[in-house]
Amino acid sequence: MRKIVFLLSCIVSLQVFSQSKITSATFGMMEARHLGPGTMSGRISAIEGVNSEEGKTLYVGTAGGGVWKTTNAGASFRSIFDKYCQSIGAIAIDQKNPKVVYVGTGESNMRNSVSIGDGLYKSTDAGDNWTKIGLDSTEHIAKIAIDPKNSNTIYVAAPGPLWGDSKHRGLYKSTDAGKTWEKVLYISEKAGCADVALDPSNPDIVYATTWEFRRLPYLFNSGGAGSGIYKSTDAGKTWKELKNGLPPKPFGRVALALAPSAPNNLLAIVESQNTGLYISADGGENWKQQSATLNVISRPFYFSTLVVDPKDAKRVYRPAFTFSYSTDGGYSFTDASNEGGWVHSDHHALWINPNNTNHMYLGTDGGVYLSLDKGGTWIFLLNLPVGQFYHVAADTKEPYNVYGGLQDNGSWVAPSSAPGGVRVGDWKAVYGGDGFWVVPDPSDPNIAYAESQGGDVNRIDLRTIKSMSIKPEQKEGEDKLRWNWNTPIAVGAKNTKNLYVGAQYLYKSTDQGRNWTRISPDLSTNDKKKQEQENSGGLSADNTSAENHCTIFAISESPLDENIIWAGTDDGNLQYTTDGGKTWTNVSKNIAVAGVPAQTWVSSIEPSRFDKNVVYASFDNHMYGDHKTYVGKSSDMGKTWTVFKSDEFSGFAHKVKEDLKNKDLLFIGTEMGLFATVDGGESWFRMKNNVPWYALVRDIQIHPVTNDLIIGTHGRGILVVDDISPMRNLTKDIVDKDVFLFPNKLMVLTTGRFGDGGFPSTGGWVAGNAPSIEPIQYYLKERVNSGDVKIEITDANGKVVQSIPATKRKGVNKISWNQRITPPKVAVSGTKIDQGGFIAPQVLPGEYTLKLKVGNNEYTQKLQVVHDDKSAFTLADRNVQYDAAMKLFRMHEQLAKVVADINDKQKMLKDNMEKVKNAKVKKQLQEYNDKLETLRGELVPTKQKSIFADETRLREDITQVYARICFTEAAPNNLQLDRIKFLQDKVNKADTDNTVLAKQYEEKIKSALVKEGVMEKPKVENKTGGAPVP
Amino acid sequence: MKQLKMAWLFTATLMVSVFSFAQTADEVIDKHLAAIGGKEKLLTLSSVVMEGTLTVQGMEIPVKLTQVHNKGQRVDISAMGMNGYIIQTATEGWTYMPFQGQTKAEATPAEVVKETSDAQIDAQSILLNYKDKGHAVEFLGKEDVEGTECFKLKVTMKNGLVQTLFFDPSTYFNIKTITKSKASGQEVEQTQTYSNFKKVDEGFTFPFAMTGFGPGELVITKVEVNKPVDESLFKPSN
Repeated sequence: MRKIVFLLSCIVSLQVFSQSKITSATFGMMEARHLGPGTMSGRISAIEGVNSEEGKTLYVGTAGGGVWKTTNAGASFRSIFDKYCQSIGAIAIDQKNPKVVYVGTGESNMRNSVSIGDGLYKSTDAGDNWTKIGLDSTEHIAKIAIDPKNSNTIYVAAPGPLWGDSKHRGLYKSTDAGKTWEKVLYISEKAGCADVALDPSNPDIVYATTWEFRRLPYLFNSGGAGSGIYKSTDAGKTWKELKNGLPPKPFGRVALALAPSAPNNLLAIVESQNTGLYISADGGENWKQQSATLNVISRPFYFSTLVVDPKDAKRVYRPAFTFSYSTDGGYSFTDASNEGGWVHSDHHALWINPNNTNHMYLGTDGGVYLSLDKGGTWIFLLNLPVGQFYHVAADTKEPYNVYGGLQDNGSWVAPSSAPGGVRVGDWKAVYGGDGFWVVPDPSDPNIAYAESQGGDVNRIDLRTIKSMSIKPEQKEGEDKLRWNWNTPIAVGAKNTKNLYVGAQYLYKSTDQGRNWTRISPDLSTNDKKKQEQENSGGLSADNTSAENHCTIFAISESPLDENIIWAGTDDGNLQYTTDGGKTWTNVSKNIAVAGVPAQTWVSSIEPSRFDKNVVYASFDNHMYGDHKTYVGKSSDMGKTWTVFKSDEFSGFAHKVKEDLKNKDLLFIGTEMGLFATVDGGESWFRMKNNVPWYALVRDIQIHPVTNDLIIGTHGRGILVVDDISPMRNLTKDIVDKDVFLFPNKLMVLTTGRFGDGGFPSTGGWVAGNAPSIEPIQYYLKERVNSGDVKIEITDANGKVVQSIPATKRKGVNKISWNQRITPPKVAVSGTKIDQGGFIAPQVLPGEYTLKLKVGNNEYTQKLQVVHDDKSAFTLADRNVQYDAAMKLFRMHEQLAKVVADINDKQKMLKDNMEKVKNAKVKKQLQEYNDKLETLRGELVPTKQKSIFADETRLREDITQVYARICFTEAAPNNLQLDRIKFLQDKVNKADTDNTVLAKQYEEKIKSALVKEGVMEKPKVENKTGGAPVP
Repeated sequence: MKQLKMAWLFTATLMVSVFSFAQTADEVIDKHLAAIGGKEKLLTLSSVVMEGTLTVQGMEIPVKLTQVHNKGQRVDISAMGMNGYIIQTATEGWTYMPFQGQTKAEATPAEVVKETSDAQIDAQSILLNYKDKGHAVEFLGKEDVEGTECFKLKVTMKNGLVQTLFFDPSTYFNIKTITKSKASGQEVEQTQTYSNFKKVDEGFTFPFAMTGFGPGELVITKVEVNKPVDESLFKPSN
């Protein structure tokens, strides 16, 4: 008995289990479009190529956009790392077996905004499949070196964590192709390994540099006792520090290179009190100083790339702030020209084709460039959409525009859809510097607010792109204003005339920034210890506003009350006012009670649009070495907080967004993914709908008109998931249904939103458009593996207008009906096809029935099709158009029947020709056939041999007018209407001619054939009904 | 009693799903081959002729696929009285698409024919006795295919063509294939999906709907197996 109970409980639990869990798959075809831009790309951290004569297979690693592969030298790229961490530090290819590729995650250009990695990955099939093979906690990987003589030996230089002490740093070595790892060079919890190089002639000689570095939210330090240059001659067992001729310690970061063609020649840029380029000709035993040009010594922590030509030991490349090269071994340098267009500054990767050293690829903060002349001039590749947005916004124009600011790449605007798709030329730069917030003014379509780093806020006239500086100024008696690197700009969610910016004080303007009112005291902790940015940098001063601290970082006005304003700071304060700024309440202690550590950055605040007392906030503590996802909700104005929990979460949180219509639908964007809940935060799932699983999601907006989810990523540009209303409507009981047809919206008749200009894109990233026609949406609980799925549209009389094969995937499916009837059967010619057979008149407005057939089941719904009253195309014109189009439609079908009849007869005549013996009868058959052929030759092309020698006949004449009328949103013109009349006459005449010929020959031939004994009974009646008796 | 039996079934299912983690390539292949007819039966498959339609903007385009095992494959497409075809044998291939203005069959580069014929002319399944055929198979665990966690196998064929096959674990049918070819100096990837699996009278199971063979879905209306096929079909007629 007990057994039975146990088994029954099994059944019960199985049933519970069988209930559909809402996951990303539930939303099936609701997939993101990747808008780009390709115009302005993002930071490139690694480029490696397969060594071959063509040099056409390359892997490009990016700061926040994963790995991209080209197999055609850069004509096109494919993203190959969408399921893994998107921050890439290093790539290595086993050149003995180039299908083996290693990717070290966690970029190590250690700027303030650098992301983190989660280990080392390996592919054995040239990037199709990846396996994580360890080093999970290194967070940053700077270089991977494979022993050129023994592919099983691999060295990985791991600087290690940036924001805290860690044992997970140093030089790692594997001798079994990555299965196991041993740390072979370790300095301390503060100093990791920044570079490694092997002597290709004797790979037991290993050079490595170590680096002591640390970031705090408000300070950077590069340099310390742990930095140095080391050499091993026994494959990493023992190490010797190299010192002779090098500047006095301490060092900062050291970029190291050896000349592959003369491996005793080493070069190193040594950050120190005397930063410069040092060279050695004896394998590092002795060094002497060479150049110290600005480009050689600039920002060593950020520009750590130094490359020697694979064949010419004297040719040295220094991709850094600019691109410079030396032909004398590093003594003097020349800058690349901008003849081929501006080359983006800030370089981090260079790959030179070893078989053709003129041919090289450069990775910059703004994308990849190609040179065919040893770096003299460069060609930009416009097809890598790896832009790093901080924030995203949208207006309500039609189609709406997206706005956003890019790391090191200014502020941009682009349409969300455009003729031919959103192409590189559709993106428009609106402001320079590093871009962050770009906010369109909801009350003035010509204005947007944009900024560069450190609060340089501007009002931009979008018509001219002229900017007016509107940055608030310090008043007498106030502390010096402290502006975050990424200074918040906000317009009121309730009163859109309100414009806010925040330093340590909150400012408000009601006249587009012409005048400002300070509406708060210092909202930060004003901790003076965190305000010593002038000392930032370590050995090389580095104070670019990136470390500014004790500042406001997030501002939100309640959508329900303009006097309720929330502000969050980078040092842990979350404060609100309910009286427009007269008084402020700090709730940071209450957040701490809920488990969010003190000092945590408040990364976003989302006051609810359903309840004044409800507020959501996201918190980012990664700058104290804590990567946990903190997102909280308070229902009592911040007094008590609940922090959302989920095993799905990964990455520190940047953004929480509440849906505009369904209060239980929430989104979270983190450094490692996009997450959603449909039950108010009880359970969360990772969104994978063509969204890279670990995308750096910095910002999320929901469009109030189109219901699109607009995602600002820091590495994959802007993504748009069109119309998320199914996410609002998928309640638990719907999800458990096998099939659910979503309620239809009114379907507005259109021939599409845009033309396409007639030419495809000639290159560069192109994003698809949002559908012009509202798709039909349905939900399938499981993928349909047996039976068909079909959509059938019927008119008011029950006649099938069109039957469309439909998709069968699990979750939400989207099917587009082109709002047209089934095209006519057009006359066949045998030598040419006619596009008339693919064209159908658009239906008239009215009530239609939509039938979804899944296997043997049917789901029916009414479908209201309406005329677009806003269009210049009037309903009266539409009726005339429809009438004309249908006349031509019927003409085609009438002609098709005549031609089919002729074809049948000709076939019959030909079939009998050989059987008939009587010459006279034979002649008669031939004569009838010839006359039919003459008639056929007037109706359809019968001779066309080439598309370049066009033959047009009656069928083509009909199609010309038919196509023009069907695809034009206007009433047909007078000449078109006239032409329809005489084309109809011609079709009628063809019909008559065919009947007359039949009368002339048919009886005679039939009786002759019967007489000849080849036919028993007449078969040549108008069996197709093709020729009505006139 | 009946309930108890049901319970046992459930438990058994549970057990199976637990053990399924330890799948290997050969287990998946064996189950797949059993699901589509069984090894013995597949060995008797000499030809397949499938007829179906593609729907373009509401217009139906008839398509016919003919495969004769180890001899050749032919696809016929007809629209408005015009007929086009694609032919491939072990050594030669042609394409004739008069719709696009071609007036003569155009030859497929020998390199492409060589690379792709391992898959194109094998009517019995590339997985059947794959080792004897010189193919290598790798089991790559599970991967989501539009919401279904599928078994993933990578097949590297004798002449270099690489196909990644996805199997629905509830049926072991192949629901998606990604084919990667490299011939002619270009790396090209194509994806095909399969659904509406039906068993035909002869005992073989075929997908009656496929995507990736043209615009939209190819809906199969008729399948004939082991029907004699005139091999002149594999020669271009113009």
